Amino acid sequence: MGRTAPTYRQALEERMKRWDAFARLLTTPEDRAAFELVRTGARRYAAQATYVGSPDLLEAILLSVLTDLAGRLRAERGERDPTR
Amino acid sequence: MAGAEPDGWLLDITESPDGRSVVLWVKGRGGGRPRRVAVEYRPPFLVGGPRDELRALVRRLRDEPAVASAELAVGRPSLFDRRPRTLARIVPTLNPGRRALARAIDAGGGYRSFTLYDVDLTPPQLYHLEHGLYPFAPVRGHGAAIVATEGPETIDYRSPPLQAARLEVRLAGERRGRIPPPDARLGTVRLGAVALDGPEEALLLALAAELARQEPDVLLTDGGDAFDLPWLYRRAAACGLGPGAFALGREPVAFGPARPARSFTSYGRVLHRAATYPVPGRFHIDRANSFLYEDAELAGLVDAARLSRLSLQTIARQSPGTCFTAMEMAHALAAGVHVPWKKNRPEGFRTAETLVASDRGGVILLPPVGVEDHVEEFDFASLYPHLMVRQNLSAETLECRCCPASPLRAPGLGYRSCTRRQGLIPRTLEPLLARRLAYKAALRRPGLPAEEARSLRQRVKMLKWILVTAFGYQGYRNARFGRIECHEAINAYARELLASLIADAQAAGYRVVHGIVDSLWLRPLEPARPPEAEEFARRASARFGLPLGYEGRYRWIVFLPAVTHGLGVPNRYYGLYENGEFKLRGIGGRRHDTPAALRRFELELLELFRRARDADALRALVPRALARADLFAERIAAGAWPADELLLAHRLGQAPEAFVTFTDAVAALRQLANAGVPRDAGEMVRYVIVDRRSRSFRERVRAAELLDGSERYDAGAYLELLAREAETLLAPFGVRREALLARWGAPERPARAPYRSAQAPAQRALAVAGGPAS
Repeated sequence: MGRTAPTYRQALEERMKRWDAFARLLTTPEDRAAFELVRTGARRYAAQATYVGSPDLLEAILLSVLTDLAGRLRAERGERDPTR
Repeated sequence: MAGAEPDGWLLDITESPDGRSVVLWVKGRGGGRPRRVAVEYRPPFLVGGPRDELRALVRRLRDEPAVASAELAVGRPSLFDRRPRTLARIVPTLNPGRRALARAIDAGGGYRSFTLYDVDLTPPQLYHLEHGLYPFAPVRGHGAAIVATEGPETIDYRSPPLQAARLEVRLAGERRGRIPPPDARLGTVRLGAVALDGPEEALLLALAAELARQEPDVLLTDGGDAFDLPWLYRRAAACGLGPGAFALGREPVAFGPARPARSFTSYGRVLHRAATYPVPGRFHIDRANSFLYEDAELAGLVDAARLSRLSLQTIARQSPGTCFTAMEMAHALAAGVHVPWKKNRPEGFRTAETLVASDRGGVILLPPVGVEDHVEEFDFASLYPHLMVRQNLSAETLECRCCPASPLRAPGLGYRSCTRRQGLIPRTLEPLLARRLAYKAALRRPGLPAEEARSLRQRVKMLKWILVTAFGYQGYRNARFGRIECHEAINAYARELLASLIADAQAAGYRVVHGIVDSLWLRPLEPARPPEAEEFARRASARFGLPLGYEGRYRWIVFLPAVTHGLGVPNRYYGLYENGEFKLRGIGGRRHDTPAALRRFELELLELFRRARDADALRALVPRALARADLFAERIAAGAWPADELLLAHRLGQAPEAFVTFTDAVAALRQLANAGVPRDAGEMVRYVIVDRRSRSFRERVRAAELLDGSERYDAGAYLELLAREAETLLAPFGVRREALLARWGAPERPARAPYRSAQAPAQRALAVAGGPAS
């Protein structure tokens, strides 16, 4: 209601529509699954990305995706992850 | 006069039909019919602008017949005024001409030269404020010279003994809720415990006599604005009775609505409000037309009327935001500030970067999908109002000129607030917060009589709604005293607060499970030795100077995923507190459009889950939950479910003629329109799905008003709804709707029957040629 700037979540979904073109040329199921992970990663830390309040949407998305990937990496290595 | 024993209560002030006075309705201590006192009263409104233009305006208006008086005055009408200014003080000849006159003046100034004040405050509202009165005030004195014996903000007050009676009209030979023919006659009219019937004219006169005998102050109806009152007036007119012979109020009024029906938007939803019919001297509360009555009931409405100086009649039909605005206006006028007619403070220009940084809401974490146990919930009570008061956030206190070094700065945004003068918003909110706390404290008193506890709880609810809107109104473009920067500052403080609380929680030995704006869901890192929850809440309250409440521990709580991406969604969960109470958010039963059959299913599932003491026990119950779903599916598929439990409700988001696609709701709308009862945007349609494949509006659904008990329903459609409902609740345990439907042997989602026009030769030719009708 009455917002001027879109929320991070809205801006993210809008930006991800553009990524559909990227996904369409991914040819293997593995690649497509990996790309879905990136999308999930971008969504997972929406609260934190909002809190940053950066005018650079990509900075916020990158932080979210990278944190998500780093978390998965740690989990794969068997490091105990206290946050999930 | 304070402390003196009152002679009675001021019930209401209404506008007199003569246009020059207001009517005071004073109920004596002995009860019965209130005294009617008419007082001449024509309040002025003010006009600000360049002095020479005001002088010319006053000269011009003096000879106008619509103007009783026009003169120059001096004042500081605006919150932002630091020095007195010249103003024009205009008294209209007739009170109802107030707005028209104001519009003419505004237009005469090209909508630029003049700022108008106090235009849309009603004469009763102004009379209250000018004379230190308020609705339901205990008063002493005679005639117009009455004085309140205590202030409106008194917390421990005695309400006047209001006499309420239910009013219900039944038309001859018609069932209520069905569509009556336009010339249907009155059958029975029920007032309180008395049922009246007989020939129509005699019946209406008997009703008038019964009203005089029972003397109810409040008429309670279910749908009276849309049905009972208009039908009574309509039949009275048909019988040739005039306002002198038949009146529902305590003085004669014309048989027509005071305010026509209208559709409007609130929080993104289109709503509809039926026309209202005045009943001067009494109050008519229509439960179908009163959001606040549904929740806060009479005690809550009376409390809000006292504080806002709005008539109970108005409060019952308006939103909490209107109450809050009226309270702000009361505080403003008490401080000599006037109420701008149109908000004339556009948002300042800002860079995109500032906008992105400032236009943000509170913190909303993503909850983990699945079931968790040992979770504790903490909420800040009335966080936003508390922040507004503590940080002195108000339109006129933000970036004030007097405090360049103010330590009150919104985190990350830097907006300063004044440290020298308390703002209008905090001034309005502070007593409301104190009031709510006092009521809550009173509720904890041992040995509190049940009746008193009930009325206190209703008042608490009313205040809660008003406090909630106080924040939203800061950002609303039409809010008189709102300012968007205030809205942003509050969010910034709240984000900072929750971030600090998260750090504290982790340091105290918790893992953060979920958080929304003012609430946190925490799980002890070591559930066997959890931190002392009450102690954590106490320490945090002391540290932040804001009341953090401990809501309780959950035996288990299930966070639900989004259908689209499978991650958790804030505000969709269900959980069971240790005290045996459920907390449900965003699931079917909380929504009004869910058919009763599905609500029943949800209820049964929750009752089953109530047995689970922890997350593992809950998981173990899932197979039994599925068996329960199978049972429902079997009965639905058998086609024997009563149709009225399958009614779907749909609120029209637009005018009926604006629909371009043919949906179930559109089919129901067309049935209703054919039966002579068109619906408007914001109204509800309720219907049973009869054949979802049908392209015919007659066959696709059956509108609730047209049900005759013989119809069959589309079992496939309802199985799908059941599967959706089951998936909503059980998705975290791997339950999918497709699997359920397959298991129930439900038919595949059918293709729609082709349009009849598709059979036409021209269409067929197109189809053969690979055209649109495939």
